[in-house]
Amino acid sequence: MNPEFQRNLWLEASPRRIAWAGVVLLLIYGAAITLTRSNPYGALPALGGVGAVVFVVCAMIWGARASGNSILTEIADRTWDFQRLSALKPWAMTWGKLFGGASLAWLCGLTGLLMMVIAGLSGGVTGLATTAVFMLALAVLLQAISLGAALIGVRKARAEGRTARASGVLGGLIIGAILLSWVAGSAGFQRGMGTEGFGALFTANGLVDWGGRLWSAAAFRAVALTLFAAWAVVGAWRLMRLELQMQNAPVIWPAFLIFLAIFAGGFVLRTQGFAASLAVGSLVVALSAYAAAFAEPADRVRIRQFAHFAAKGDLARAAPLTPAPLAPLLIATLLVLGAFAAPTGSLMTPELGQAGALIAFLLRDLGVIALCRMGERPQRGDFSAVVALGLLYGVGGSIGWAVGQETGGALFAPLANAPLISLASGLAQAAVVWVLAAKRIGINAPPSAPASVPAT
Amino acid sequence: MTAAPMIDVRGVVYDYPTARALHGVSFTVEAGAVLAMVGPNGAGKTTLLRCMAALDNPTEGEIIVAGLDTRGDPRGVHAAIGYLPDFFGLYEELSVRRALTYAARSRGMSPGETPRAVEEAAARVQLTDRLEMRAGELSRGLKQRLAIAQTIVHRPRVLLLDEPAAGLDPEARRALSDLILRLAGEGMTIVVSSHILAELEDYSTRMLMIRDGAVAGGGVVAAGSGARHGLQVAVAFADPPQDLPERLAAIGVTLERHDGEEVVLLAPEGEDDAALLARLIGAGLKVRSFQPVRRTLEDAYLAEVAR
Repeated sequence: MNPEFQRNLWLEASPRRIAWAGVVLLLIYGAAITLTRSNPYGALPALGGVGAVVFVVCAMIWGARASGNSILTEIADRTWDFQRLSALKPWAMTWGKLFGGASLAWLCGLTGLLMMVIAGLSGGVTGLATTAVFMLALAVLLQAISLGAALIGVRKARAEGRTARASGVLGGLIIGAILLSWVAGSAGFQRGMGTEGFGALFTANGLVDWGGRLWSAAAFRAVALTLFAAWAVVGAWRLMRLELQMQNAPVIWPAFLIFLAIFAGGFVLRTQGFAASLAVGSLVVALSAYAAAFAEPADRVRIRQFAHFAAKGDLARAAPLTPAPLAPLLIATLLVLGAFAAPTGSLMTPELGQAGALIAFLLRDLGVIALCRMGERPQRGDFSAVVALGLLYGVGGSIGWAVGQETGGALFAPLANAPLISLASGLAQAAVVWVLAAKRIGINAPPSAPASVPAT
Repeated sequence: MTAAPMIDVRGVVYDYPTARALHGVSFTVEAGAVLAMVGPNGAGKTTLLRCMAALDNPTEGEIIVAGLDTRGDPRGVHAAIGYLPDFFGLYEELSVRRALTYAARSRGMSPGETPRAVEEAAARVQLTDRLEMRAGELSRGLKQRLAIAQTIVHRPRVLLLDEPAAGLDPEARRALSDLILRLAGEGMTIVVSSHILAELEDYSTRMLMIRDGAVAGGGVVAAGSGARHGLQVAVAFADPPQDLPERLAAIGVTLERHDGEEVVLLAPEGEDDAALLARLIGAGLKVRSFQPVRRTLEDAYLAEVAR
C-alpha cells in the first residue's frame, strides 16, 4: 500500500474515529427515519435527501478541508521537510494525501451517496448515475483544489518568508471564479448576468449549447466536472512535484489553458461564431494570467535566473523557471489576434487596435503585480498589487471619465469606443511599469549578483 | 588515486529573495568523517545543510552527495541521506513502531524488510521497549532519539544533523554523542551543525567553520577528540640532548613546538601513549614528565579564527 495513504489512514480513519463517525451517522439517519415515519411514501425519500446533504457536508466541505490540511498540518507540525525527503513519487504523495487525508470524510460521505442512490432507485428517479458521477467529480474537484491551494500557499510562504496558509489562495480562487462568471455574464458570453453560470451548474435542466450543438445539461455537467476534477488532480500533482524539488517543463499548464479556452469558447460557438469563441477563450485565459501572477512565489532570484538562462539561449534550464503568467499572456494574445482576424481572414482589421489594447492592459497589469510583489517585503505584495490595480481601474478610470468621457476613460481601461487611445495608453503604462519592475527584480543582473537589489 | 569525497560542495551561492545567505562555499568531506559545522547563529549553516539535503536549490554552484547531484537527482540524494532539521516534528498520534514503519516505507524500503529495519533502528536509539508508545508521550530526549531513528531507519550513507543537541539534558546529550560515535563507527558520514562547540567535542573528527555565509579559516580541518592528525604529548626531558629533533625523528616522532621547559611532540596516528613513552625511553631520552595533549575543538576553532 502507498505509505502516505497508509499513514493517513492510521491517523484519520482509526477504528475509534470510524466508530464515532458511525454513531453520529446512525443518529442522523435514525432521526430522519423517526421524523418521516408517518410519510405515506415511507422514509426512503427523506433518507435520500439527508444522504445527499451528508455527502455534500462530508465529502465536499469536510473532505476539501481535510485535503488542504494534509499539507498545512505538516507545516504546522514541522514534518513537511521529513515528507519532502521521502523517496515517494509525487503522484503517490498526491493521491496518498488527497484520498488518505480525507479518508474518513469519504467514508461518511459515501454512506450518504449510497442512501441517495438507494432512495432514487426505489423511487424510479432517472439520471441517477449521471448525478452520482457529478457529485463524486465535484467532491474530487474541491478536494484537489484545496490540496493545490495549500501547496501554492506553502510555496508562496517559503519564498515570502511567512507562515503558510491556504485561505488566501482559496479566497482568491473563489473571487476569481465569481469574477469570471460576472465578467462573462456582463459581456454576453452566457445567458444572464452575475453568477448565473454557477446556478445553471447546480440545477442542470434542459440542454446546454456547447461546441456547436446541444447537449443534455445533466450529462454535460457530469462530463465537464469530471474533466475539471481530473485537471485539478493533475495540477495538485504538478505542484507536488515542485515541492519535492522536481522540475516541471512548461507543458501541462499551457495544455490546461488551451483546454480552458476551448471549454469556455464552446458555449458561444453556435450562436455567435468562431471569432466570439476565440474572444471568450482569450478572456478566460487572460484571467488565468492574473491568477498565475498571484499564485507564483514572489521570488525575484528565480525570475533573474530565468532571464539569465533565456538570454543565453539555455532553454533547457530556462524552461522550468518560466514565470507562470507568460503562457496565458502568449495564448491570450494569440486568441485575441485570432478573434479579430477570424471574420475577415486578415489581421489588418479595424478592431486590431482594440485587441492590442486588451493585451497592452493585461501586460501593464502583470507589470503592476510584479512591481508590487517583488519589493523588499514580498509578504505584503499581493495586497499592494490588488490595491494598485483597484486604484488604476477604479480611481484612474473615474477621473479619466470625468475629464474626457470615453476618451479619458480609455486612458485607464481598454475601451472599445477609443481603441487606439487605449492601445497607446496601455502600451505606455506597460512600458513604464515593466521598466520599474525589471529594475526592482534586477533582471539584467547575473544569478551571481547579490540577492538584494535596491527597491525602485 | 584518492577516493571521491562523500560530500563535495563547489562554489555554492544561495540567495533568499531579499538577502544572500551563502557566498561561494566550497569544501569536501571524505567518507566516514564526522564533520562539525560550526559558526555563530545566522552564519548560514542551516541553509547550507538544507542545500546539501536537496531541500533547497543553490542559486549557483553544485553539491554532490554520495555521488549524486542535488539539483540533477534530488530524489536520489533524499534516498541516500538522513536529515534532521533543527526544529523537527513527529507524528505525535502514531506509535513509535508506526512512525518508524512509515519512515522506512516512505524512504523506499520494501514491506518485507521494513519490520526488521524498524527493530534495528529502535535498538540503535534504545527505544525498543517503547515501540508501542505514542510519539507524543515521549520525553524531549526520547523524541530526539525517535527523530534520529526515523532519519537512519533506511540506512543512509550520509547523516546531516542540524543542532541535534539543542534542548537536551546532559544525559540525553551523552546518549546522542554515543549514538553518533556508533554510527560513525559503522562507516556513516555525518555532518553535525552547532554553535556550541562543547557538544561536538566528543565525536567530531573534522571541523568546518562558517561565518557570514562563507567558509572561514582553512576549510575542513582536523579537530576534536577523534582528530586523526596524530597523538600530541607534552614532554619534559631531564637534560635534553642537542640533537633532540633528530633523535625524535629517528623514532617517527615530530617535535611540534617548545612550550617553556616542555616540548610538544606529535606521534603518528594510532600511536598508543604507553608505546610512545617506551620508545622515548628506549631511545635513551630521560623523560621527566609525560602528558598527552588533547586538541579540543575549541583549540581548533581558535586556531582557525587566528589564521
